[in-house]
Amino acid sequence: MIGVLVITHGNLARELINVAQFIKGDISDVTPISVDATKSVESVKKEMIAAIKKADNGKGVMILTDLFGGTPSNISLSFLKKNKVEVVTGVNLPMLLKMCELRGKNSLAECAEKIKEYGKKNIYLASEVLARKAGT
Amino acid sequence: MVRVDNRLVHGQILEGWLPALRISSIIVVNDDVASDLFRESVIKMAVPSDIDVSVYSVSDFVQSYGNGDHAGQRAIVLFKEIDDVLLAYRSGFHYEKVNIGNVHDDDGICCVSPATVLDRSDVKRLRELIAHGVVVEVQSVPRDKPVNFKEIADDLE
Repeated sequence: MIGVLVITHGNLARELINVAQFIKGDISDVTPISVDATKSVESVKKEMIAAIKKADNGKGVMILTDLFGGTPSNISLSFLKKNKVEVVTGVNLPMLLKMCELRGKNSLAECAEKIKEYGKKNIYLASEVLARKAGT
Repeated sequence: MVRVDNRLVHGQILEGWLPALRISSIIVVNDDVASDLFRESVIKMAVPSDIDVSVYSVSDFVQSYGNGDHAGQRAIVLFKEIDDVLLAYRSGFHYEKVNIGNVHDDDGICCVSPATVLDRSDVKRLRELIAHGVVVEVQSVPRDKPVNFKEIADDLE
């Protein structure tokens, strides 16, 4: 099974995982890492090295981060390694749920592509959806 | 603006300082980034396309900043470490004020804020800048109240 890390500013990662667990039931091996003003870049890197090592069962590790250009994402990108470590930014709840669903049966690259699309696809503009429905 | 931030280009720069100071150019001065095309590309991807991004090693920057390449730009010059910004000053890049953002030293002795923790060497370096007449201001984001480091330095041993 692909290992999953969620790294974000503040406690976003922890809360996303909590909610995903609430919805899906027990989710094993999804590790949150939090970046805040009091942590140095070096200490976050050390945390990530340990977490990646722990999450790696030979199937690769998926790192989900909140914001491209933010510190969690910048640090994650330094671990990028084809077929071993992938990074997807802009994590949202649909993306995390989908990742938990796919991680046992897809390769790292396949998961990455699918969850990226799924995360994007699940952003709806309500009034647009309604207008389309009304139009048909 | 001249700023020292261990995190270089990140959310606080992009969402905070760029709009507050109407910055049109980011100049990253760091030996590691200057020699790492991947990191340089990541920085350039993260910055809106209407903002210029240039990356220099410390030595290249001090040699070339007077060239006029950045004339007319409202620029933020970003260093990762206090020793680099001091080296630049000693090499002739003179600035009147330096902004200290996220700096986390191991063995920190001076905690100016949760984001700014300085060790003995960095305190010494900032004191040297102050002695040259540089205003040293600790301020992570524009809405924080800036702290003049001279007042803190005077209180330390």
